[in-house]
Amino acid sequence: MGKEEELKELLNKLPDVTTEPIPQGLSEDIKRQIPHRLSPHRGGINTINIIIDFRINKLAAAAAIIITIIFCATFLGGRDSAGGSVLQDSMLLIKYWGAANASNISVGRSKYEHLLSRGEDVVWYGDGLDSKDNSAVLMQRRLADGTYEVTFVDGHEQQVNSEELIKLLSRMLQKRTK
Amino acid sequence: MTVKKANLAEQDFDSAHPINKLRELNKLKKRSEQRQDSLARRLRAGEHAAATELVDIYYKQIYLFMRRLGHDRQVSEDLTQESFLNAWHHIGQLRDGKALNGWLYRIAGNVSKLYWRKHKGKKTASLEGFDISDSNNAQHDKVERNELLEQLKNAVARLPIKLRQTVVLHYIQQLTIAESADAAGVRQGTFKSRLNRALTALRKQVT
Repeated sequence: MGKEEELKELLNKLPDVTTEPIPQGLSEDIKRQIPHRLSPHRGGINTINIIIDFRINKLAAAAAIIITIIFCATFLGGRDSAGGSVLQDSMLLIKYWGAANASNISVGRSKYEHLLSRGEDVVWYGDGLDSKDNSAVLMQRRLADGTYEVTFVDGHEQQVNSEELIKLLSRMLQKRTK
Repeated sequence: MTVKKANLAEQDFDSAHPINKLRELNKLKKRSEQRQDSLARRLRAGEHAAATELVDIYYKQIYLFMRRLGHDRQVSEDLTQESFLNAWHHIGQLRDGKALNGWLYRIAGNVSKLYWRKHKGKKTASLEGFDISDSNNAQHDKVERNELLEQLKNAVARLPIKLRQTVVLHYIQQLTIAESADAAGVRQGTFKSRLNRALTALRKQVT
């Protein structure tokens, strides 16, 4: 018998010599984990699994999914009335959310920029404000019904008419001049 | 003449006759293929009983596959469970009965690969963990043959993971080349080439 055949014959014997008792209860453990109803994948989940099957780093997979969503939203999604791209809006939103832990003024500033980019009628008063003065007005936003939404330094908002707005602003100016 | 005919009839029913043995084998093969097809169809339909049947058929094979790939007992147990969990989630990728072996072994192979990737420094438990003297067949073999088998086991255990998986799939788990290639996630040509490389390496080590 040639060496080649002998090796193959020995290899064919390996299943018998490389076996051992199977742990008890293994099949029951596996059966307990069978979902009540097995269902083939939906499209979206399949896409994720394909990416995972490619063995891409999880972070890269997440980045790929986010880029796909932004791409789809930019080219296929609708636009709001303010102009500009969905990407810019997203960046502003991320910036707005990212600023949540910063001071109230910077959060307000992010919100102001976001509203401004959407074409809202907003005025910023936040520069040079005392962040400890909770009654100080950070910004005003004109609403469709002619009233104003005022945002204060502590983040709370109040809807006021034009007269009340003037009072609030003049009070704030008086405090500043003092 | 009548006696001759009777003899022929007897021969037809004689299961020891080579032609009858072959027919019997073909019948068994066909029946097994039909069973696998039906199982795959039921799995795709989401039948719970089919999943239980799949576990009964394959859990031992997958556990031993993990052991033969070099995982210790506890890890093999965990990875076997993980393989089946993944199988339930990838049931939509199962094409037909013929692909059943390749599909399940591919999932198991990937689970094992990911484990090695996460535990790079970990030593393999390897095939050396098995004792040849446990095998009934081996008890009747000559000492020299046992020594050769021992050498071969150790040599397989020392192969790089890809080559080891090739040998384990084809020779130890006894999958066909097509099934093994499917399980390894490579083309048949690539699989054959890996098998050749593995055999060359084993030939050098087993004397």
